[in-house]
Amino acid sequence: MTRMPPRTNVAGGRVAASRGVAFSASPVLQVKMPAWRSRVVLFVLFMAFLTLAGRALWLQGMSTDFLQKQGASRYARTLELPATRGKITDRNGQVLASSVPVKAIWAIPDDVQEAPKDKLRELAKLLGMSDAELRKKLDSDRNFVYLKRQVEQDTADKIVKLGIAGIETRKEYKRFYPEGEVMAHVVGFTNVEDTGQDGMELGSQKTLAGVTGSRRVIKDRLGRIVEDIEAVREPHDGKDLTLSIDSKIQYIAFTQLKEAVEKNKAKAGGIIVVDARTGEVLALANLPTYNPNDRSVLTGAQLRNRVLTDTFEPGSTLKPFTVALALDTHRVTPSTVFQTSPGKMTIGTATIGDSHAHGPLTVAQIIEKSSNIGTAKIALEMPAQEMWEMFTNVGLGQQPKFGFPGAVAGRVRPYKAWRPIEQATMSYGHGISVSLIQLAHAYTIFARNGDLIPLSFTKVNDSPIGQRVISENTALQMRRMLETVVAPGGTAPQAQVPGYRVGGKTGTAYKIEGGKYVKKYVSSFVGIAPMSDPRLIIAVMLDEPSAGSHFGGTVAGPVFASVTANALRALNVAPDSSVTNIIIPKDALEESM
Amino acid sequence: MTGRLSFVVTAMLVLCALSLVNAQYQARRLFIELERAQSAARQLDIDWAQLQLDQSTLGKNSRIEALARRDLNMVSLTPERTQYLTVRDK
Repeated sequence: MTRMPPRTNVAGGRVAASRGVAFSASPVLQVKMPAWRSRVVLFVLFMAFLTLAGRALWLQGMSTDFLQKQGASRYARTLELPATRGKITDRNGQVLASSVPVKAIWAIPDDVQEAPKDKLRELAKLLGMSDAELRKKLDSDRNFVYLKRQVEQDTADKIVKLGIAGIETRKEYKRFYPEGEVMAHVVGFTNVEDTGQDGMELGSQKTLAGVTGSRRVIKDRLGRIVEDIEAVREPHDGKDLTLSIDSKIQYIAFTQLKEAVEKNKAKAGGIIVVDARTGEVLALANLPTYNPNDRSVLTGAQLRNRVLTDTFEPGSTLKPFTVALALDTHRVTPSTVFQTSPGKMTIGTATIGDSHAHGPLTVAQIIEKSSNIGTAKIALEMPAQEMWEMFTNVGLGQQPKFGFPGAVAGRVRPYKAWRPIEQATMSYGHGISVSLIQLAHAYTIFARNGDLIPLSFTKVNDSPIGQRVISENTALQMRRMLETVVAPGGTAPQAQVPGYRVGGKTGTAYKIEGGKYVKKYVSSFVGIAPMSDPRLIIAVMLDEPSAGSHFGGTVAGPVFASVTANALRALNVAPDSSVTNIIIPKDALEESM
Repeated sequence: MTGRLSFVVTAMLVLCALSLVNAQYQARRLFIELERAQSAARQLDIDWAQLQLDQSTLGKNSRIEALARRDLNMVSLTPERTQYLTVRDK
């Protein structure tokens, strides 16, 4: 019996539990706790909630901007939308300058330090520099170092593939100039930032340059763009520029000039070809020149655009303007005779002279033989003011408006200060300075029927309106005279062109160094072709020819002839002369200086 | 009655929510496609510029002249060797 009761007890206990005990009868409630304990708990809980609410308020109200910015910076990205710089093409659409995307390679030096040696060696090889050079660049305190800029895409891809930590790339543009040195002075070049530095690249910087755009986007985990957050600021590519240059004629002009500079051992040279109908510059070349694709070694002499920025005393090439003025004001006719004997003339204290004593010459012969005395005598019959106006009207001494940077004005002194000797020497192109492009420009009055049109480096669609300087009749008379210059009796028979009637004027002048004339020469020739219906004006200048002759006819004349022959053929101009055999007299007349 | 109405509204709500999710998904997919097409267009532009450049490089006068003179043994024509024909207008 003693074994049973516990069992009953247990069973009885279970029964009671399953039935439940009334809440109020719960023994737990019977325990009396001090009242402050529940209050403490309540208070702590309340404070905790208050803190949370306060924190929420703080985050929501006070630092919301900061937090949103932080958030955005973790998923939103601002992308730069690059704009391409406009292309430069020649008049026929051939590309002369074009920007191609390349990569700049930069590094965070601290991060690269741990990179394995062989990978760095490979990197140096890809960058085309020695290990030491690379190490020197990486040995820097800054946290951004350009290793190399304008790296071509293929090479950049290989560098990225090396997977060196701390080596990054940045997109940029490199400008390529397929025509290289031939076009260098016309087109100019840009710097690594793709900003124009010289030539038309600088002159048309505003229209060529693009405007970069930007957009803000959300990127997903894989780096894909998921959404635009703000309106996209579209990039605007630069406008393409169509030059007036004809790359065929440019090439002809450049190669012929180069040949002449080498043959005559000249220090420098320049040539410009202008379309007489539209005023477009078809070719402009300078020597020495440079390769715009590789400008690691550049000298000032190479960069100089002599045609536009160098002024020289033109010499006899200016005589036609003096004569044209006299003809236009009916002071003389082409057959008026002037006595140039004995080849010397004293004005005031100075004496001027001709290289040969010619005796009596008609006005036409004065041009043909290039007589200084004849021209001076014509000039002295005219008031200084009229001569000054003539020079000014054809653009000499005036700031040119060609839309080309660096063009100079030259110098024509105010007529009030002219003394008679100065007026005389100025009539044959001394004591006055001009640039070659100004000369070519001035000759448009002869090539056209007496009017001057503006020159343009960009393609012209409508023929420009000219400004009349001399009468049509005078222009025609002058053209006839200029044609005699290249005839066997003139100063430039070497400038004859087989198949075409051409004309022009030689110029040979001493150079001025330190305010004094020195025994160094500038030989020039300005010509017009074909004479029956002028199409081209070509001006050639050679600086310090030193291989024997220094006369414009023998030095610059042949350049004019070969450029004209090839250029007219390239332009499909029909020949206007049946003469195919050219006679150049053995000792052609040397002009006066 | 109210039980059924709320069931219908709940169902509509769920449907709307699902369609929103779907629309969002479609929008992102299309956007990525657009992005891809745009970058392809950019790449084509770059290729076009590169090809134009190549054309200029290969077609530059100095190269043509060198090829004509050296490889093809051509000479420049002179007026003496040129026959000019005049076509009379009828």
